[in-house]
Amino acid sequence: MAEKPKLALYWAASCGGCEIATVNLHEKLLDLDAAFDFMFCPCLLDTKKKDIEALPDGAIAVTLFNGALRTEENMEMARLLRRKSRLLVAFGSCAKGGCVPALANLTSKDDLLKTIYLDSPSLDNPEGIIPSGTTAFTEGDIHLTPLLGRVKHLAQEGDVDYFVPGCPPEPHQIWNVIEAILSDTLPAKGSTVGCGTLTVCDDCDRTKEEKRIPAFRRSYEFYPDAQACLLEQGLLCMGIATRNGCGAPCTKANMPCTGCYGAPDGVSDQGAKMVAALGSVMDIGDTTGLSEEAIAARVAGFLATIPDYAGMFYKYTLASSTLGGRVGSKK
Amino acid sequence: MKIGIYFCNCGSNIADKINAETVAEAAKSFPDIPYVRIVDFICSEDGKLQFEESLKAEQPDRVVVAACSPRDHEATFQCCLSNAGMNPYLMQMVNIREQIAWVTEDPALATEKAISAIRGAVGRVRQQEPLEKKQLEVCPDALVIGAGPAGMKAALSLAEAGRKVTLVERTPFIGGLPVRFEELFPALECAPCMLEPLMGELLHGDHAGTIELLTMAELEQVTGFYGNFNVKIRQKPRHVSLHDCIGCGECAAVCPARTTNTFNCHASDRAAVDFAFTGALPNAPFLMEDICIRSKGEECRACKDVCPMGEHVIDLDEVDTVVERTVGAIILATGAGLYDASLIAGLGMGTLPDVYDALQFERMLSSTGPTGGEIVTAAGTPPASVAIIHCVGSLDDGHKPYCSGICCQYAFKFNHLISAKLPDAAITHYHRELVMPGKEAHTLFQHAVHNKNSTLKRYDGIADLGVRAGDNGGLRVSAKDVELSAEMVILCPAVTPAEGGDRLAALLDVSRDSFGFFRELHGRMDAAQSSIKGVYLAGACQEPMDIRTAMLEGMASVGYALAGLQPGRTLEIEPITAEVDETHCAGCRLCISVCPYRAILFDTEQNRSSVNAVLCHGCGTCVTACPAGAITGHHFSNAQIMAEMEGVLK
Repeated sequence: MAEKPKLALYWAASCGGCEIATVNLHEKLLDLDAAFDFMFCPCLLDTKKKDIEALPDGAIAVTLFNGALRTEENMEMARLLRRKSRLLVAFGSCAKGGCVPALANLTSKDDLLKTIYLDSPSLDNPEGIIPSGTTAFTEGDIHLTPLLGRVKHLAQEGDVDYFVPGCPPEPHQIWNVIEAILSDTLPAKGSTVGCGTLTVCDDCDRTKEEKRIPAFRRSYEFYPDAQACLLEQGLLCMGIATRNGCGAPCTKANMPCTGCYGAPDGVSDQGAKMVAALGSVMDIGDTTGLSEEAIAARVAGFLATIPDYAGMFYKYTLASSTLGGRVGSKK
Repeated sequence: MKIGIYFCNCGSNIADKINAETVAEAAKSFPDIPYVRIVDFICSEDGKLQFEESLKAEQPDRVVVAACSPRDHEATFQCCLSNAGMNPYLMQMVNIREQIAWVTEDPALATEKAISAIRGAVGRVRQQEPLEKKQLEVCPDALVIGAGPAGMKAALSLAEAGRKVTLVERTPFIGGLPVRFEELFPALECAPCMLEPLMGELLHGDHAGTIELLTMAELEQVTGFYGNFNVKIRQKPRHVSLHDCIGCGECAAVCPARTTNTFNCHASDRAAVDFAFTGALPNAPFLMEDICIRSKGEECRACKDVCPMGEHVIDLDEVDTVVERTVGAIILATGAGLYDASLIAGLGMGTLPDVYDALQFERMLSSTGPTGGEIVTAAGTPPASVAIIHCVGSLDDGHKPYCSGICCQYAFKFNHLISAKLPDAAITHYHRELVMPGKEAHTLFQHAVHNKNSTLKRYDGIADLGVRAGDNGGLRVSAKDVELSAEMVILCPAVTPAEGGDRLAALLDVSRDSFGFFRELHGRMDAAQSSIKGVYLAGACQEPMDIRTAMLEGMASVGYALAGLQPGRTLEIEPITAEVDETHCAGCRLCISVCPYRAILFDTEQNRSSVNAVLCHGCGTCVTACPAGAITGHHFSNAQIMAEMEGVLK
């Protein structure tokens, strides 16, 4: 019997959700195991980095790489797995667009460390230690990998063959990708797979009407109607500017879409597109005869109902957005 | 791809600041290495000929013209491309004159800027695609809503031009507000007499055959678009045949049911089947179903039995009818009403007898009104003193901030008519501002000023005025500390849009201003057009106006309808429109809310939006708004704009 193709599932700066989503394949995991030699997954298996280094280049058929690139170790692993893999898949929103880890790009590395290790009110750090570099212990030295100046997504570091969106990717879509790999029906290199070609609105069966939004509300403030479009009810639902394929589980649970599948085809910047769309349906009432100042005050009143622009519009895509992060926090 | 750059020196206008040779040299590094031709005046007859000959000889795939503003000559050069056998949309103009040569001091910098801009245009034009204008057959007929002065004028003029017109009127009669007045400013003409020839022409003239008048009717549904609107009109039953009734009034005389008459501001009675007022046209009564005693379950056919023209004339069982028509244009002429003066506290409107608003007083003055034209108080005696309060709710931020424009003129008309009927009556005008523009209005004003019995008093704000019942009868009018007696008070309230404008606006998607008047496409350039193509505005539904202006507006709206829609001629549709890629539309309907022209239709079965190219103005609002990136603006696609920016920034 021919050797099964090797499959790796690696995590860089990530939360482990992509692994859980993969485990949520349930009994299909057996099919996965039948088709692949699932040989590298730090979350589940004991294979070491040196084992991978020992493989010939291109020995791994497919690497599903999740997580953003936060540290030099992440970078090193990304380069290593690129070299060893015939197909490198940016798996999940962190690898595809930076996701939550990339929100750190809104501040500098030094400010970030200061907040975490020195300023946080729950800390007990009288010596003001910021962990870094090499620390000697009696049992041996501990090396901490340095943080990069800026969080990157996988394609910023090397060639990526396919992108799978989602935070995490939905299990049924993970299986679709596996099947496409097995049946050799993947689309052109560079495509986003494991998703639909429309927006979440197509998956969401709520009733959509014309939209005029006078102000936004937060989920905790009211019980949304179960049938009407959440955006029309004043919840900041990102579904209109988010690629579909997830099946809209969030809106089905009466929660607004937060945009984890990223921008749909034809949209390069999800957050910017969302801002353009909302600007078009913002309802600040009749402005006839109002002064510029009065109109500006109405707009400001509307905008004040949006709590966190970056966290809302760029939660999943800041690293791959046009802005990329705050000016001055370059590498 | 072969690209030609045509550089116009514009004499010295461009050549003084931008060196054509340097641009030509730089063009060698542009994508596709375009050829460059330098022309002295490309817009001149010689220049155009040279341009066309060169296009024919070189046969480029794309053309960039670096010259003046496209607002000056884009159409000129598009025409040259067509003459040379090219699609005119394969050209991009660069405005190197106004935007570079005229505003840049240093020639070296100007040349550098021109190179960037032309490089951008080359990048853009490579992405441009041939576009075709489309032709659409149209219906030249029109719907006119409202049969007041503006609507009647419009309907008759359209009919004179050979167009079929459906004229829809909500009330049972035509003539609008002024037909209920006795005499009009500025020349004291009798209103029904002045309007009679127009109304007569409309009902019985040479062109009456092409005017379908639907009284007691309202627009119920509109689908379609400019050139091809399908409208549904619901007509309430009159119960009296307009065809057979001769207007003798026998039915009204025997009718046992009585009520107050709306059209006399409830100051007189009428029978359930009766005329709106004497002389109302069409000359036929109408039956008020809810007043007729049959509505209370009683049997009655007195009107039917008495009718000298036969019992078929009155149909007691008539029901609503719905009329469907196809029209190319819709003219809104729904007129005006008066602000409810009872909303202004302290003036006694609705609480004190002998406080009237202008419309009630017009009816009192009218020989067909409740008093037969006599000016009398509620007690039935002629008033010895009358106070006329101007600017009631107008020029008032708490009510209507605008000047209603016509009130001063009719207030001085009242002065004249009161003095004519009651020569000894004292008349006091309380006014904020006095507005009497034009060459005719001064006559009535001068008459009032020189009337020995009249006084003009200026007040600052309506809160300074008060009207109360006098201790010994009559009324007391106070302005700050000064109080005077008056036996009658006439209020001149702000002119407001007629009721129902909100419903019509929703049906047609025509926008309204914050006062409820229909909003013009442009307040000066296109004041008789609404924001919706093919829906025109006439008369006081767009702002307070007098009869003269309303008639002119009626004609203006006809001008648009006649110029745009001609029998046998098709409508040319500009290809610079938005288009929805249905494979990427997820049906969120966001685009529909943002389209100012109601050009986006939604297919509820397919759950997809589509743009109607006839209605689309190519503004691009939906392109920006579409969160799915599914809408492309033809000739302004993302790829084109990005390519231009990349070229400029290189």
